[in-house]
Amino acid sequence: MSPDVLDGFFRATQYDTIFAVAVGCLVGLIVGMIPGLTISTGIIIVLPLTFVLEPEISIALLLGLYVSGMTGGSFSAILLNIPGTPSATATAIDGNPMAKGGEAGRALGIAITASFVGGLFSFLCLFFISPILADVALQFKSPDLFSLMIFGLTIICSFAAKSLVKGLLAAVIGLAVVTIGQDPMMGTQRFTFGQVNLTAGIHFLTALIGLFAIPQLVDNFADIIKGTDEGNTTKIKSVFPKIADLKQMRLPVAIGSPIGSFLGILPGAGGPIAAFISYDYSKKLSKNPEEYGNGSPQGIAAPESANNAVTGGALIPMMTLGIPGDPVTAILIAALLIHGLIPGPLLFVENGEFAYGVIFSFFWANIFNIIIALVGLRFLVKVLIIPKTLLMPSIAILCVIGSYALRNNFFDVYVMFSFGLLGIIMRWLDMPTVPLLLAMVLGRQIEEYLRVSLIASKNDITIFFTSPFSLFFLCLAAASVFWSFWAEHRSKQEQKQQT
Amino acid sequence: MLLLCAGYAYLTSNLPSRDIQNSTQPSFFPWIIVACMSLLSFALLVQGLLPHFNSEILPRSGIPAKRIAIGLVLAIAYMVALPWLGFVAANILLFAGLMYLYGEHRPIWVVIGSIGISVAVFILFREVFQIRLTAGILEGLFR
Repeated sequence: MSPDVLDGFFRATQYDTIFAVAVGCLVGLIVGMIPGLTISTGIIIVLPLTFVLEPEISIALLLGLYVSGMTGGSFSAILLNIPGTPSATATAIDGNPMAKGGEAGRALGIAITASFVGGLFSFLCLFFISPILADVALQFKSPDLFSLMIFGLTIICSFAAKSLVKGLLAAVIGLAVVTIGQDPMMGTQRFTFGQVNLTAGIHFLTALIGLFAIPQLVDNFADIIKGTDEGNTTKIKSVFPKIADLKQMRLPVAIGSPIGSFLGILPGAGGPIAAFISYDYSKKLSKNPEEYGNGSPQGIAAPESANNAVTGGALIPMMTLGIPGDPVTAILIAALLIHGLIPGPLLFVENGEFAYGVIFSFFWANIFNIIIALVGLRFLVKVLIIPKTLLMPSIAILCVIGSYALRNNFFDVYVMFSFGLLGIIMRWLDMPTVPLLLAMVLGRQIEEYLRVSLIASKNDITIFFTSPFSLFFLCLAAASVFWSFWAEHRSKQEQKQQT
Repeated sequence: MLLLCAGYAYLTSNLPSRDIQNSTQPSFFPWIIVACMSLLSFALLVQGLLPHFNSEILPRSGIPAKRIAIGLVLAIAYMVALPWLGFVAANILLFAGLMYLYGEHRPIWVVIGSIGISVAVFILFREVFQIRLTAGILEGLFR
């Protein structure tokens, strides 16, 4: 066993790291269960606190929040029929009927246990697959890395967008934003308009806070008008699952965990897709498919194991290739960059013990997730009665402080609000914000790898087609774009036939 | 989008160039972005014109335009006042305004909530997390 593995384990088992994981889990469960708050928003709120912490403690805190946020989403889905996170939508199908039938505790216990198993399975995938993938990725040269980044960008656009063109446009806008500031090769000022604050470019996190949090605050205006923010929790008895329930969960969990881990690895697929696919397969393979939709424990276990398995899967490309699988891992990349750590294959070579520390922190996050959820659930659900009239303004001021705290600069607060406005306009135009965000994460590297490759090849673009890895990734990128275009075309035809 | 693209292209054309052999210019990547943006904007335009792609846009219901407009004005006023008022006073006003916009119209709750939470968050970040937040006109109270 590599000494990095042991060092990583010991680093993740330090009392301060464990404490950070536990706090992250507690916050994650709360954030996840509040409808209208996503895991991304939760991480954004907590992020300013991590600036003053050690990198491993910061990441441990954020991982706890990520893992438990997924589980927390199921609580409001089961109790209120309002999924706390998009990934918990499938859980509500069977969870809420069980809660209405007086079995809220049982449904929650099944959701928590299935989440734990799914998370643990994805930890094993993360532990065994990441080092292998990192080894392969070490052979990549600039053209391969450029093509890989392009692939990451195209697959995310195609998954994130209802319209492929709008998704790609959002990504291109993100790339344009990245060009503000110093040119990465020569240090020439670009699009700074003589503004000193723009010399270092637009900080990814200020843009992220604005793009995610501000539109969400606006969305909650609409929710309040519709009257969908009322919290009303059923009284919960025991949440510990019975042996009979555990036996029933075996098949759906065995389906959900690998599906979730696999789809987590694919950038853009994410929790909601994994949850619904697992639900569907579990139903098809079940002996009692007619029970699905009427309060079946299996209908809770399948999506819950899948959406938590996505977390570990999404960390694999993030850590080994530096490609975010979803918005949360994009924020995690930003958090690592703030601490001077660059995710990618070199992370395992240069900071092996840190990389394994992250993996073991993920393990602890799953352990604390089940412990805190099972023990503290009865108290945690009280959060659902916090009025949004207090919650939403609190988020607003935390966003402002978070943006300011990055560089102690009011300019970042203005940038954050500007991106908030951009986010609202993009929503209004039905344009997804996720591709823009991910383009901002990958943009600088895309430009750097592209220009380094061209310098090395003396401006010969065939370098991207002569390298087998690069060609492979470019083919995948092209396939991803064409597939999305075809899927969009087909869905529009189906819509027309229906009307 | 086409206007944005034209503006970006104009700015790109004004970028300085460097005379280094076999090296790409600082405007190289922005020109690629211009090409992609114009291509995609044109594709969007064509999609909008073609009946096959031009699917019916469902009317959006429940968008509280008035509240969003008030929220926007509040945000602009907040940003203008923030450097002068500091984080405590400006946050209290923002918080109170947002509470009102989110439907809390009981004055006593608005006052307690806005002052209590804004001050608590300020102290937490400045004293516990050591983030240098300015207190502006209330600096004397938080020294």
